[in-house]
Amino acid sequence: MTTGNVGRPAGRIGGLDRVTGRQRYVADLRLDDALHVKLVTLPCARARIVDIDTSKAWEVPGVRTIFTAADLPDPMPRYGVHYDDRPVLAVGETKFHGEPVAAVAADTLDAAQRAAALVQVQYEELPPVLDVRAALDPAAPLVVDPVLRPDDPLASTNIRREFRYAWGDVDTATADLVIENTYTFPMVTHFAIEPHGFVVAADESGVTVWSSIQHPYILQRVMARVLGLPLSRVRVIAPDPGGAFGGKGYPKFEPLLAYMAMATGRPCRLVLTLEETFQAVRRNNAEVRIRTGFDSDGTIRFQDIEADFLMGAYVDISARVISKSSHLAAGPYRVPNARILARALHSHTPPSTAMRGFGTPQFSWALEQQMDEAARRLDMDRLEIRLRNLARKGEEFIPGDTPADGDWFESVRRAADAIGWGEPLPDGRGRGLAVGIKSSATAGAAYSILRFLYDGSVFVLVGTSDMGQGARTILTQIVSDELGVPPEAVNVVMGDTAAAPFDYSTSASRSTVFMGGSVMRGCAELKDQVREMAARLRGCEPEEIEIDRGVVTFPGGEQKGIVEVVQEGLGAVGGELIAVGLMRGEADPNHPIGGRPWFYEFNCTAVELEVDRRTGEVLIHKHVTVADVGKAINPQHVESQDEGAAIMGLGHTLMEHLVLDEHGRIVNLGALDYRIPTTKDMPLELESIIVENGDGPGPHGAKGVGEGGLLCVAAAVASAVTDATGVVIRDLPLTPERIWRAINEVTPSEVSP
Amino acid sequence: MTPQTMNITLVVNGQHHSLDVAVHHSLLDVLRNDLDLTGTKECCAEGECGACTVRMDEKAVNACLVLAVEADGRDITTIEGLATEDHLSPVQQAFLEEGAVQCGFCIPGMVMSAAYLLEHNDAPTEEEIREALSGNLCRCAGYKRIVRAVQRAAEAGR
Amino acid sequence: MGVRERKPLPPPVPPCDRLIVFGYARPESLPEALELVGAGARPLAGGTDLLVGLRKGKFTADRVVDLKAITELQPAIYETHGGWEITAGTVMSDIVDHPDVRARYPALVQAASAVGSIQIRNRATLAGNVCNASPAADTAPPLLVYDASVVVAGADGERTISLVDFFVGPGQTALLPGELVTRLVLPPPTRSAAFARLTRRRGVDLATVSVCCGVGDDGSVRFALGAAGPRPLVVEDTSGTLADPAAPEGDVSGRIGELLAVATPISDVRAGAEYRRAMLEVLAHRTLEAALAQREERR
Repeated sequence: MTTGNVGRPAGRIGGLDRVTGRQRYVADLRLDDALHVKLVTLPCARARIVDIDTSKAWEVPGVRTIFTAADLPDPMPRYGVHYDDRPVLAVGETKFHGEPVAAVAADTLDAAQRAAALVQVQYEELPPVLDVRAALDPAAPLVVDPVLRPDDPLASTNIRREFRYAWGDVDTATADLVIENTYTFPMVTHFAIEPHGFVVAADESGVTVWSSIQHPYILQRVMARVLGLPLSRVRVIAPDPGGAFGGKGYPKFEPLLAYMAMATGRPCRLVLTLEETFQAVRRNNAEVRIRTGFDSDGTIRFQDIEADFLMGAYVDISARVISKSSHLAAGPYRVPNARILARALHSHTPPSTAMRGFGTPQFSWALEQQMDEAARRLDMDRLEIRLRNLARKGEEFIPGDTPADGDWFESVRRAADAIGWGEPLPDGRGRGLAVGIKSSATAGAAYSILRFLYDGSVFVLVGTSDMGQGARTILTQIVSDELGVPPEAVNVVMGDTAAAPFDYSTSASRSTVFMGGSVMRGCAELKDQVREMAARLRGCEPEEIEIDRGVVTFPGGEQKGIVEVVQEGLGAVGGELIAVGLMRGEADPNHPIGGRPWFYEFNCTAVELEVDRRTGEVLIHKHVTVADVGKAINPQHVESQDEGAAIMGLGHTLMEHLVLDEHGRIVNLGALDYRIPTTKDMPLELESIIVENGDGPGPHGAKGVGEGGLLCVAAAVASAVTDATGVVIRDLPLTPERIWRAINEVTPSEVSP
Repeated sequence: MTPQTMNITLVVNGQHHSLDVAVHHSLLDVLRNDLDLTGTKECCAEGECGACTVRMDEKAVNACLVLAVEADGRDITTIEGLATEDHLSPVQQAFLEEGAVQCGFCIPGMVMSAAYLLEHNDAPTEEEIREALSGNLCRCAGYKRIVRAVQRAAEAGR
Repeated sequence: MGVRERKPLPPPVPPCDRLIVFGYARPESLPEALELVGAGARPLAGGTDLLVGLRKGKFTADRVVDLKAITELQPAIYETHGGWEITAGTVMSDIVDHPDVRARYPALVQAASAVGSIQIRNRATLAGNVCNASPAADTAPPLLVYDASVVVAGADGERTISLVDFFVGPGQTALLPGELVTRLVLPPPTRSAAFARLTRRRGVDLATVSVCCGVGDDGSVRFALGAAGPRPLVVEDTSGTLADPAAPEGDVSGRIGELLAVATPISDVRAGAEYRRAMLEVLAHRTLEAALAQREERR
C-alpha cells in the first residue's frame, strides 16, 4: 500500500494551541469553587510523628479543612500500583523528605500556605536508611513495617524483591579474561517543565479526578480500590501532560485530595511546586556489580551481574522497573552463560518510579563500560568487540524469549559511519560508541472506539496520553490513511475515562504498536461494516466489495466514495458507524517478566568530544543517535523524540544528580542547584538517524520509539572521555570536577558531589 | 497580618486592566489567576526555567520575579498577544513548521524569548540563538529543532 | 504612596514556597526611600535575588520599598571627571550593551553577560548584585579590579566606600541601617582586564569560581577572586613578574600559587574545595593571558 499521511512529517495535532498559549494543562483549568491545597512536610527523611497541632492553622480565614492521619480511616488506607503500601498521609512515621504529614485546603492558595506554615508538628528524627549499603545492612532499621508485608519471607529485611535470571552455567564457564567492576548510577529526577497537578471532586455520584497522569486507567483502578468505589463511578480526566517521561504514570496525591473533597464537599486542587516534584518522583538509583568473562578474541563467555536498586519507602512501579530491566541486563549480545540477581531495596529516600528507559540505562552504563574495558585489555577496537558479540536478527539472545527483532548491526554501522569511527582525531578529543536495549510491553490492552459520522468525519476515542510524543498525530495519520478521510476530519479524543475506552498505559514506547494496532483493527472493522452496507445496497456479497483509502469499488468496477456509501446506507434516518479496535496481549504467568516483549527498542549512540584536562569540562562536538524503529509513522516526531532523549541522557551523564544530606533531605532541591541541560549544553552537532526495516509488530511494521535515545548515552560519553584522557570513571554524573579528580587522581577529602 | 492590596493598571496585550492585587502576588500570578491568561506558565518560580517569560515594556523578563505591583502602569505582552486574528507571528509559525513543539509547556516562554532575540538581532548566529534561549528550559526537545525554528523565523523575516 | 503605620514584625516565616510580603511602597524621592529603609523595609530593585530569597525563606520582609521610581536612581551610565558612574537602577543588559563600558571596562561586560539569562539581565541591577554580596557574585571581581567604589546615601548625606571595603562577609556589606547605594563609580581605567568563570554546566549557572585579572599600566597585576572565601578576594602582584609576557612559566605559576594561597574556598553542593582551589589557579592563568593580550592590543 502506498503511504499517504503515514511516513510523512505531518504537522503536530495540538501544535497550534501550544504555540498560541491556548493549550490547557491541569494547572490552567478553572474550577471556580475549588479549594487550594498545601502539604505540610518535615525537614528530614524519617521522623516519628509525636503530635500535630493544627489550632493556629485553623485560625487563618478561608481554611476549610486540615487533614492529618487522624482524619482518615483507621487502619490508614493505602494504595499503590502492585502493592497497597502507600499511606494517604504519613501515619506514625514519615518515610522520606517530602512525605506529607498534613494537608490544608483553603479558599485561596495564600490562605492554604499561611495555614500550612502554622501547623505545628512535634517530631523526633530517626536514623534513616539512605543508601544501598545501609539498606542491605541487617542491623539497619526497617523501612517498611513487617506487619504490612504478611507472607513475605523478606519482610524482616529492607529487600522487597529479588529477581534472578540465569541460563547456561556461569560457574563452570571458562574465560581467558575476567573483568569485574562496580558501577553506580545516581538518583535523578524527571523535571518535566510542567509540575504535577491534580484536582479531585467528589459527590454522591462518584469521584472525578483531573490529573496530569499518563495512565488514566491505572489511576482509575487505584482510586476505585482505595476509595471502595465501582470503576464506573470514578472518572479520570487527563489533559495532555506537559512532559512526563514516566514521572506522571502513577497515583501520587489524588487519593488524599479525594478524601479532602469528600470532607469539604468542594473540589480540591493541588499543583506541586517544582521542588515538590523532586520529592515525589525520581529514577531508581543503582549499584551494579558485574563480572564478565571474555575469550581472547573478545567473545563474551559469561555475564555475572548483581544489581541493587534503591526504591524508597513505597514500591510504586519500581519492582517492575527492576524485574524487567534486569531480565535484559546482559544486553543485546550473545551471552552463552548468564546469572543475574537484582534486588529492589527500600530506603528512606524520595520514592522512585518509572523513568524513561525503565531501569535499562542503569545496566547499560555498567555493561557497555565492561565491553570497553575488555577492548582495551585485549587491544581490540571498541566497535569491533561489539560487532563480534551483537545478537543477530532472529537469534534468541535470551533463551526462550523474543528473538532479536532488528538488524542491529545496521544501526551500529550507521552510527559508526556518522561519527567517523576510525578516522584520526584532533588532540584532546575522544570518541565513544555504545548500544542500548529495552524491552517493550510484555502484555497489555489497548481498546479504541471509532465513530464514523454521517458526514465522513471520525471520532477516535483512545485512552492514550499525548504528552509531547505526538500520539494524537500519528493516530490521526493512521486513521486518515486507512479510511481515506482528510486528517482535519479526524478528531482524536483522549484523556477521559468516561469517553475513551481502556488503554493499559502510555509507557514502554508501546502506543504506536498497541494503540496504533488497535486503531488499525478498528478501521478494518469499520471497513467491514461499510462492505456489509454496500453489499446490501447492491445485492452482492461483502467479499466482492473492495475498499481502499476511502474508495469503494463494486463488482463491475463502479467506484464511490466511502462517505457517499455510508450516507446511502444510513439513509434518511441517519446515524453513524461504530467499531471497536482491540489489541490485547495476555500476561503469561509462567514467563519471568509476565510475557515475551512485543518488540525491543534498540539504540546505538556515538559521540565525539573534547575534554579540557585542566578543568575537567567536556564539550561534545558531535552526538549521533541511531534508532531501529521498524517504520517511522511520523519521521519528524521520531527524530524529535530521539533528540530529546539524547539530551535528557546527557543530563544524567554530565550534570544531574539529587544530593541527600545525612538527614535524608534533598540538598539541591529546585532549579537553582539541580541542573538540566540548556541550549548552551547541546552538542555542537546532534544527528538523529532512523533505521526502518518494517520489522516491527505495529502498523506498517512499526516498533516503538521515545526511550532508545537515552539508554546508552552515559556509556558512550564515558567511553569517549576515556578515549580522550585515559581515565575510567564508573560513577555518574561526569561533572567537570569528577573528571578533573580522575585525571589528577585526587581522592576527595571532603564529600562533595 | 494580611498583605496590603493595591490598585494597579496594566496594559496586557493592548488591553487596559484595572486590578486590585495583593502586594506579594507576582505578575505571573495576576496574569494567570486574575486575567485568566494561562498561556504563561509556572514551573520553577525562581527565574531559572523561563516558562514564565513575558515582555514588559519591551524587555523580556521572568514574570515570576516581578511583583504585580512593580508592573503598575507597564505594558505587558504575553504569548496570547503575539498572533493576530488572521495569522501567527513568524516565530510561532516557524516553531510549528520545524516540529519544535512537543509537550508544549516550555513553548510560550521559548517563543517569547525567540521573538525578543529577533527584534534585537535579525540575523543571529547559532551561538547567539543558544545564548538567547539559555534561560528557557525544555525537557522534551533537545533544543535542536527549537534553534532551527528561530533560524527559520529569522530567514522569513529578512 | 504614603508610609503605612508601622506594624510589629511577624514571627520568622519558615521556608515556604510562596512569597510573603506584606507591605509595598514605591517612593519617587530618595529621602522618602531612605526613611522607609531606615524603618526596616527591604530595598527592591531588580528583584532577582530578593524575590528568590523571600520565597525560600532566606529573607523575610515586612515591607519592601521599590526603588525603581526614584528619580536619582533611574538607569544611567555617564562620564564624570574622566571616570564613569553607573546608577543603582542600571540593569545588567544596559551595561552589556553600553559602548563606553564595553570599550573601557570589558571585564565588567564579560561578567555582566554571565549573570543569569537575558530575562534575568533585563532586571538584575549591578548595584543589587553588589549589595547582595554573595561571595560568588559575578560582577564583584571585575569591579574590584577596576577599583570601583559605591556611593551610599543615608539620612546624613552621602559617603563613598571603596568596594574592597564594602564586602564584609557572605551576604553582608558595609551598609548601615537606613542607607542605600545610589551609584557605582569606576575611575578611569588603568588596567587591561579579563574575566572568566567556571560553572557546573555551560548553560546559565552560578559560578563555581570566578576570577578577574587586571594588568595595570604600572606593571602591577591584580586578581579578584569570586567563590574563593567569605567575600570576594583581591590579591596583587607588584613584582612585575606576572606583567612580563616573557617571564618563565615556572616563575609565573609560582607567583600565582603564592598569591592564591590566601583563598579559602569551601566545599558545598556546587563543588569541592580542592577543585575550587585548582580552578582558581587555572582561571588566574587564563585571565592573565587574556589581560596581557588585551594590553598588547591597546598599544
